[in-house]
Amino acid sequence: MQPTLINAALIGYVGATGLALAYLVQRHDLVHRLTVLCALAGWAAHTVALILRAVELGAPPLGTLPDAISVGVWGIVLLEVLIEQRTGVRVLGAFVLPVVVVLSLKVTSAPARTLAPALASAWIWIHIALAMVGIAAFVFNFAGAIMYLLQERQLKTKRPGAFYYRLPALQTLDRLTFRTLALGFPFLTTGLVLGALWARVAWGSAFTLDPLAFFSFVAWVIYAGTLAGRAAAGWHGRRAAYFSIIGFAALVVTLGAGLFLPGRHGS
Amino acid sequence: MPLFVAGLSHKNAPVALREQLAVDEDKLRELLLDLQASDVLREVVVLSTCNRVEVYGVAEAPGEARALAFRALCRHRGVDLGTVEPLLYTHLDADAVRHAFRVSSSLDSMMIGEPQILGQVKDAFALAQACEAVGPHLHPLFSHAFNVAKRVRTETEVARHAVSVSFAAVELAKKIFDGLGGRAVLLVGAGKMSELAAKHLVEQGAFPIYVANRTWARAVELARALAGTAVPWDELPTALAAVDIVVTSTGATEPVVTRAAVMRVMHGRRGRPLFFIDIAVPRDVEAGVDGLDDVYRYDIDDLKQVVDANLRERAREAQRAETLVEREVGKFLARQGDAEVIPTIVSLRARLEEIRLGEVKKTLARLPEATPETRAAIDALSSAMVNKILHAPITKLRESSRAGAGRSWLELVHELFGLGRRS
Repeated sequence: MQPTLINAALIGYVGATGLALAYLVQRHDLVHRLTVLCALAGWAAHTVALILRAVELGAPPLGTLPDAISVGVWGIVLLEVLIEQRTGVRVLGAFVLPVVVVLSLKVTSAPARTLAPALASAWIWIHIALAMVGIAAFVFNFAGAIMYLLQERQLKTKRPGAFYYRLPALQTLDRLTFRTLALGFPFLTTGLVLGALWARVAWGSAFTLDPLAFFSFVAWVIYAGTLAGRAAAGWHGRRAAYFSIIGFAALVVTLGAGLFLPGRHGS
Repeated sequence: MPLFVAGLSHKNAPVALREQLAVDEDKLRELLLDLQASDVLREVVVLSTCNRVEVYGVAEAPGEARALAFRALCRHRGVDLGTVEPLLYTHLDADAVRHAFRVSSSLDSMMIGEPQILGQVKDAFALAQACEAVGPHLHPLFSHAFNVAKRVRTETEVARHAVSVSFAAVELAKKIFDGLGGRAVLLVGAGKMSELAAKHLVEQGAFPIYVANRTWARAVELARALAGTAVPWDELPTALAAVDIVVTSTGATEPVVTRAAVMRVMHGRRGRPLFFIDIAVPRDVEAGVDGLDDVYRYDIDDLKQVVDANLRERAREAQRAETLVEREVGKFLARQGDAEVIPTIVSLRARLEEIRLGEVKKTLARLPEATPETRAAIDALSSAMVNKILHAPITKLRESSRAGAGRSWLELVHELFGLGRRS
């Protein structure tokens, strides 16, 4: 039942991604409505699947990295629909949903597992949950950065194309990237600190060589630098957008390392 | 009863003729009353704008009605009917409905999506209504047309993107700044065009407005007109640092705003974008500022390019609007078709029911010993027969009228079943 539901969710997200991209090209109300419908259908299936998994495990479905990512994706899709609704930026899906699909690809095949009893503690759950909230915020940060660069290009080249008409104002996009960074960063930081503290308790050392821990530290440094640049040096616009993209790339590598390399986060 | 529209528009008639034919409201009222008195036109609406003169009418003989209407119009305006006649187009029934929808939705306008036409159609309709010239045909047609126009406006973007240089500049500003409320504007030079652009910006909430001009008196004058502040010419560099949007339109032969000057002010702005709208020829702002971050410079050619792109975008949206109109024409005709055949279907049913009841009564009178079961069976039998017989003609009536060919079938059914003359 669960794998079927997860697959259904993935199909919904893939469909929604296709439709969202189609909406960029051929702006049709119907296409947008179908996009939302598809995403919500996938999300509903996803919700049921997560509940079933939690019931089966008797614990939050966050014990393995694929499971945690799955919960993250679930939150991102919900946020995407809500933000679109609230801000009226209907093209957001075209930038967020592809990331959702990429993140969900590994999720479907993972077996249900929870943490080893030695690891299970309230702190570890908080560590995972905070990190996931941070990642969700950075997905929107990334989408905002891409949109900023596209709109800036349109305005600089003075040849209005599809993006000029569909994307919001530069300042709006810059504020979106700033706010998502300011929101995501404390979550990521606290998540990482808790992880390190936990590692000290569990393994006796806070900084053991784990691929995910290593790359997440790299991502954290990039985001910290960007935030500092924004706050102290007045970074903004294109430069901040580039850093958002680099930071997100590091985050993707982080998750990839967790999923595919052996280590404490790995499966 | 055929619905028709006859008229001429910017598409085929020269402006000289259109302006000769344009009728003001008083004359229009007179004309409507004349036309109504004639008995040829059952209902009539006359639309007269500087781009079109059209008569929407309902008449047994549309050709005759059209001739009558334009003869009267030409007489009123002192124009020779001979020059008008060859330019007239006529649309009947479904085509007339489509035309009414397209005109109201501004798809038939010279500038697609222009907002005035809907108001003009509404006025024409209101006037005809006041003259009691609209009835059961034109009333639904026009109310449907107004709905279609509203849908086209909200569901497509035919009317959204600016088609004038000054509005295009305002839209660009909206793609840079997060709203124009409280954005400071600096006018450099005092041309008509920059004044217009400034007015548009002010309408969008831009404030405060500064005016710099080589002639101080002119700066003061324009500043007063825009409720702004005049700035001495040599304080231009300082003013640049304080504002968000700069509109330049001086007659200077050398650039007034140099790259170096802009570079100097960008430092202190902490990422606040600076938008130059350069309407002057030769240009007032050095093209080199394009290379600076957060600086956006559009000269008159760039703005024209944006307008062209907007026009293409409108044309694309017009395609979508046409599809929407086509769908609505179908809906309207189906609804009208049903309305047209329903009275006939009702009287057809009543006629057959009358026959049936009469025959059942006669038969039962001849069978005094019939049990209640037999009586019920006879009743059911006759009912079933009537329904079966009626099924095909009713279906045919509905279908043909939805396809726009209901009239001849209606006549036929009335003849065949002796239903009496249709109203």
